[in-house]
Amino acid sequence: MTRPTDLLQGTLDLLILKTLSWGPAHGYAVARWIEQLTGEVLRIGEGSLYPALHRLEEREWVASSWQLSNTNRRTKVYRLTTKGRHQLRSEAGAWTQFVDAVYKVLKTEEQPA
Amino acid sequence: MSDRRLRYFEFWRRDPRRDVDDEIEFHLEARVADLVTKGLSPTEARRQATAEFGDARAVREQALAIDHRILRRGRRTEWWLDVLRDARVSLRSLRRTPTFAVTAVLCAALGIGVTAAILSATYSILIRPLPYADAGRLVAVYGENTVRGYHGSNISWPDYVSWRDNARTFASIGIWTWTTATLSDDASEAERAYGALVSANLFPTLGVRPILGRYFTRDEETPGRDAVVLLSHRLWQRRFASDSAIVGKRIMVDGRANTVVGVMPASFNFPDRGDIWLPFSVTPANEEHGNRGYAGAIGRLKPGYTIEQGTADLHAIDANLEREFPVENRGWRAEVKSMREDLVGDLEQPLKVFVAAVALVLLLVCANLANLMLARGTTRAREMAIRTALGASRRYLTMQLITESLLIAAFGGVLGIGIAWWGVRLLRFAFPDQVPPFFISLTLDAPALGFVAALTLATGILFGTVPALRASRADPSAALREGARGAGGGGSVHRSRLRSALVVAEIAFSAVLLVGAMLLVRSYQNLAATSLGFDEKGILSARVALPEETYSRARTKVFFDELFARLRAEPGVTAVASAQGIPFSGWNVQSETRIEGTPKPKPGEELIAHFQFVSPDYFKAIGVPLVRGRWFTEADHDTLNPVVLVNEQMVKKGFGGADPIGKRVHVGGDKDPTATVVGVVRDFRHYRLPEPMGPAVYFPYALYPSRQQAIVIRTTRADPHTLTTPLRNAMRALDPRLALYQVQTFDEAVATSLWRQRLQGNVLSIFAILAVVLACTGLYGVISYTVAERTREVGVRMALGATRGNVLALVFAQSGRLVVAGIALGLVAAFFATRLLETLLYGIRPTDLTTFFSVPACLAVVALAAALIPARRATKVDPIIAMRAD
Repeated sequence: MTRPTDLLQGTLDLLILKTLSWGPAHGYAVARWIEQLTGEVLRIGEGSLYPALHRLEEREWVASSWQLSNTNRRTKVYRLTTKGRHQLRSEAGAWTQFVDAVYKVLKTEEQPA
Repeated sequence: MSDRRLRYFEFWRRDPRRDVDDEIEFHLEARVADLVTKGLSPTEARRQATAEFGDARAVREQALAIDHRILRRGRRTEWWLDVLRDARVSLRSLRRTPTFAVTAVLCAALGIGVTAAILSATYSILIRPLPYADAGRLVAVYGENTVRGYHGSNISWPDYVSWRDNARTFASIGIWTWTTATLSDDASEAERAYGALVSANLFPTLGVRPILGRYFTRDEETPGRDAVVLLSHRLWQRRFASDSAIVGKRIMVDGRANTVVGVMPASFNFPDRGDIWLPFSVTPANEEHGNRGYAGAIGRLKPGYTIEQGTADLHAIDANLEREFPVENRGWRAEVKSMREDLVGDLEQPLKVFVAAVALVLLLVCANLANLMLARGTTRAREMAIRTALGASRRYLTMQLITESLLIAAFGGVLGIGIAWWGVRLLRFAFPDQVPPFFISLTLDAPALGFVAALTLATGILFGTVPALRASRADPSAALREGARGAGGGGSVHRSRLRSALVVAEIAFSAVLLVGAMLLVRSYQNLAATSLGFDEKGILSARVALPEETYSRARTKVFFDELFARLRAEPGVTAVASAQGIPFSGWNVQSETRIEGTPKPKPGEELIAHFQFVSPDYFKAIGVPLVRGRWFTEADHDTLNPVVLVNEQMVKKGFGGADPIGKRVHVGGDKDPTATVVGVVRDFRHYRLPEPMGPAVYFPYALYPSRQQAIVIRTTRADPHTLTTPLRNAMRALDPRLALYQVQTFDEAVATSLWRQRLQGNVLSIFAILAVVLACTGLYGVISYTVAERTREVGVRMALGATRGNVLALVFAQSGRLVVAGIALGLVAAFFATRLLETLLYGIRPTDLTTFFSVPACLAVVALAAALIPARRATKVDPIIAMRAD
């Protein structure tokens, strides 16, 4: 298995916010979902996932609470805040625009006049 | 609120380290479980999960760092929310007792404001460095005579030169003397400008450079080469429209074209005010040691030398001079004082008194604040007990009490800063011209304000918090059982005794201040009521100076005669006259005087008399009667055999009380003529109060028509100032280049000369009134409280047949004890404290009996009046309700 591509700065935040928009989840679930959805193309290293989650919490884009898991362990569960939802919306828009722009360049065959 | 409560616990009880560990551990376990379902052995799964996770330590540290930040921010927010909540609760509680809140806030505000204003002014005047370079090394040098006991005398040029050339402890010494000059040119109106003649090295000695041009040069100290002038920034701006090319231009100074060599900076002035400076040019051959006609010298000590060393240095030079010139220099030596003492010396004593008084006011404010807070704390002890019983934490109650005290402090502080700022501004008007001299910049001093505010606030918080807390610590049930009598815990008796002690102290402090204020006010009244010997109502005076170039003695006489004739024609003018210097203007020339036929007096026992040249109507115009002999007439102008008038003091001191008419006196040097006495005028105050009157000799001005004269116009007009325009017009009609200056009425001149005494009286009166008000508030508070506390007792007494009179007497007896104790203590303290005032008093002793009797009487009446309101409340107690109250 080749090491997956490093994520662009800010992209991880966007992916986490998107993941949490489906509902509250713990860190492990966030990591698995992203892996599954990208067909393991984007593998989130735990080394960057947890600091990212805490940073998002500091910015008050996500909030956390403690719950008991079915194995009876204390689990920290993150959920999207209203502020986070707004952030997701604007970030996603910017991201799509960016991707479209890059895609347009890559698709063009001829050199512009 | 409940949400905030939760967050509160969240932020204070969380353990971030455990949280992060748990989170990572959960992740690993979940991964292991996943891998096991995929078929790995648990050991293998664990190994892989750990490997996948990577550097768990680094993740943990990063997450922890972020969590700590979150926590800190959360706590901070929480703290502010707490403060806001406490403030809201406290505000509500203060609004329930508005009288207390307003009194406490005003008390703190007045204390902070008044004290900070006075301390700031004192700092500005006595401590802040003067606006000269390295001002601590600057000294003013005058003359003193050890044989005759003169101080602050003028100096002579040769003495100055000896100091300048021989002093080892001085870096430089420059000489100066007062001058005034008329500025005239075609562009603007002629005006009289004040200033000084200064030696070339004087401004370099002060260490202040011109902003334009240069200093004078040594060469310009020579007559003939001295047609140069330095301008003040103010004059340059006003009269010359800040002309940046002014240097090198010629302006007319006393009718002579002088080249402007420079402009001094805006912050500079010399000696204390002035607009022009001219070179100090003398012909050394004409100057004698005995000719002490110059105002003084300014010296800069070499680094490391003290004023004492500098003085000793000059005195050594003076001792040599005295050996060399035993007649001219007998007893004469330099009098050296610091520049600051020279400038503000006469303000030092009153300021010290103000600071002492203000310290008393501050103590009083603190005592009063303590009293108010104690009273409130006591009445709230029950509330605290109930709240403790209901489960309020001590931390919470403490915070709330502190917040309450802080709120009062904050309001009081803000208001106090306002009062202080306003007070400092108001103090400007205390100066005679409503403008403080240039070397005093009156500003609010931050350290003084901080100190005063901190002291006041600490008092408020200490006394606002401790008593109530002590009560809340006590067994709540005990406090509750005490019921309607209000006070909590066992400290109630102790506290009411403390409060009584505070009231006694307050009354004592106000007694001291009242005595001091009364002494100063009566000193001022004594001064103001002093019979001046002349009639100061309805006289306008103004000075005119004629340029030497165009006015010979004869022309001068013609000019003034013509001017007087024109003025006499004005409606409402009853007399027009002139003198060289009018009373209370500072003009005071004295000379040695000898009576013909008496032996030459021993050195040091010469008769020194004031003398000047006056016009025939001068005494009639200022309302001084003739005691004996005759007035001057227009015919009295024989310069070879002149006639003079003398005053009664002269008769007493010079003629031993004998009739002086026809006797001859000799005023001045050997070259001056001997004059025959033709009349005696009544004594009057000439120099200033409280200086005693001295002997005087008056010559007719026809003898020696001075070019600088003070014109005196007596009028029946209600406002003598309405004559200013006719006077100016009459003068301009004769010569348009002339300027009128020192225009003032006689009563203004007298009032101005008493400004310091008036200021002392006023300031101390304000303090004393403030003190009495504060003390009465304190007394009122204590009595109200005891009355409330004894409602039940009063009810029982009344039920048992006590009359309203009995009840009133009961309450008054308590107030009386406090007042008497306070006054007694205060008078003892005042007896010692008023010694500080001794030098400021006039016509009254520091232990004046009337004052020491009337102050306690007034204080007692006012204080008991303050106790009357709560006392009357006690008499209105309904026995039935009082006893049922609990």
